[in-house]
Amino acid sequence: EFRFGPCRVENVILLELWEAFRAVKDSVQTQDNITSVRLLKPEVLHDVSDAESCYLVHSLLKFYLNTVFKNYHNKRVEFKILKSISTLANNFIVITSKLRPCVKNDMLSIYKSAHRRFLLFKRAFKQLDTEAALTKAFGEVDILLTWMEKFYHY
Amino acid sequence: FLAAEDTSSLQYVKFQSSNFENILTWDDGPESIPGTVYSVEYKRYGETEWLAKEGCQRTTQKSCNLTMETSNLTELYYAMVTAFSPGSLLDSKRSDRFSSLQHTTIKPPDVTCIPKVRSIQMLVHPTFTPILAEDGHQLALEEIFHDLFYRSELRVNHTYQMYLEGKQREYEFVGLTPDTEFLGSIKILAPMWSKESAPYVCRVKTLPDRTWA
Amino acid sequence: PDGVVVLPAPQNLSIQSANMKHLLTWSPVIMPGETVFYSVEYQGEYESLYTSHIWIPSSWCSPTKGPECDVTDDITATVPYNLRVRATLGSQTSAWSTLEHPFNRNSTVLTPPRMEVTKDGLHLVIELEDLGPHFEFLVVYWREEPGAKEHVKVMTGGLPVHLETMEPGAMYCVKAEALVKAIGKHSAFNQAECVEVQGESLPL
Repeated sequence: EFRFGPCRVENVILLELWEAFRAVKDSVQTQDNITSVRLLKPEVLHDVSDAESCYLVHSLLKFYLNTVFKNYHNKRVEFKILKSISTLANNFIVITSKLRPCVKNDMLSIYKSAHRRFLLFKRAFKQLDTEAALTKAFGEVDILLTWMEKFYHY
Repeated sequence: FLAAEDTSSLQYVKFQSSNFENILTWDDGPESIPGTVYSVEYKRYGETEWLAKEGCQRTTQKSCNLTMETSNLTELYYAMVTAFSPGSLLDSKRSDRFSSLQHTTIKPPDVTCIPKVRSIQMLVHPTFTPILAEDGHQLALEEIFHDLFYRSELRVNHTYQMYLEGKQREYEFVGLTPDTEFLGSIKILAPMWSKESAPYVCRVKTLPDRTWA
Repeated sequence: PDGVVVLPAPQNLSIQSANMKHLLTWSPVIMPGETVFYSVEYQGEYESLYTSHIWIPSSWCSPTKGPECDVTDDITATVPYNLRVRATLGSQTSAWSTLEHPFNRNSTVLTPPRMEVTKDGLHLVIELEDLGPHFEFLVVYWREEPGAKEHVKVMTGGLPVHLETMEPGAMYCVKAEALVKAIGKHSAFNQAECVEVQGESLPL
């Protein structure tokens, strides 16, 4: 199960997500020629405290659902990519539906810290041309899964 | 330099990684010119500047050890190879995005098999990598892959095996017949990363039982 | 238009799921003397919420001849999935028929696992059926005696595995249940099986 600080998520097999992404990783990353920009940069994901992790993972997965995967469908994508997105997106729905980030006042500073990290990512995304940003964000799902694995308990 | 037309004198620029030893390799292309030399650069994904790899400039070799330059596990990297012939730049090719965590393969473990009268003990020695921890010690594979475990197997006869698996490094198969040969093997698995080493194999014979001798 | 036979849509769609194998079936469309093909598509909760116009062709049944489709490889999350089928005959295609209720893999029926318990000399050996990557097995075994202590092991299936080195003159019993983490469920235990080791027999 995942333990993002106080948030617990079961019934998601991280290996299933990895396998879905690995099936398309090379073809997607090859389409991203902007090697000098990384959206999920170290400042977004390094040294995230347990308390922050629930807020941050919730914001990131919601962004992938609402923006990255949703708009990726508008691109002419091959069947393999459709299937990969479907597995990732439907499991992201399971995760986000079980995350209950706490909204108490004493957690405000932690929430703000997590939100600053998320805005770093979002700003970098918005600075790119939409097509390039979608391809880059999808190509960085391995960075996202590598970070999420730190909160996965076997 | 005169940038010659892309004469594809360079191909298959890629990383080969095993136990986090990261080697960049490439091939000369179908239209390569005798006397071609190569220069290697590398950078972190997300950075602008390419860095020249010392020791792999104007080399005739077709590989370059980038282990130390690509040793940060949370980073991803690119490498670039440029081919030169006397007086002109021939071709330049970039590797795919490289993450040693995702790409490295795991070598078979180092194991000592110890036969006894009615059992066989298998001791796995830790596998240290070139990756340094913050305190400077070399990280073992177990410290890198959280889900890493060992699967030991003893083939008893043609019908079944004995299995022992876990995170510990000591395994003992008991209840065996003295003075009999067995085939033992141990491999390393890190399922989350879809990594499985080839097995270390030892053919070993239990000791004769001299208690009645 | 007169004389043109409209290809009817497949009827009676239903899904049977056991041990995480999901089979979609429907009544065949009968066109005498003709071979009708079918195409199956699916939509997870994500697609129906965020991109409802998107349907994804099934991995194995786009197209297929038989009135059934193994959709196991398409159902890759524990969320409700919509499934639909249509018939094709030459250039004609029928309307889509959609499964009445969305399917969630957590409704799969988990059966007690098939198991073979044998002994080889003093070795107690177990082999469980291989039900695929989602499955682990909780194996409980004990020596049949008053106040017996139960031992528990979690293992995968498909290979004969040594459980215990037994002592001569004792009976050992084994039972197992199937575990599926992806849906957080387990089967019932199967019927316990026991083996007895003769008195003074020599070890293997």
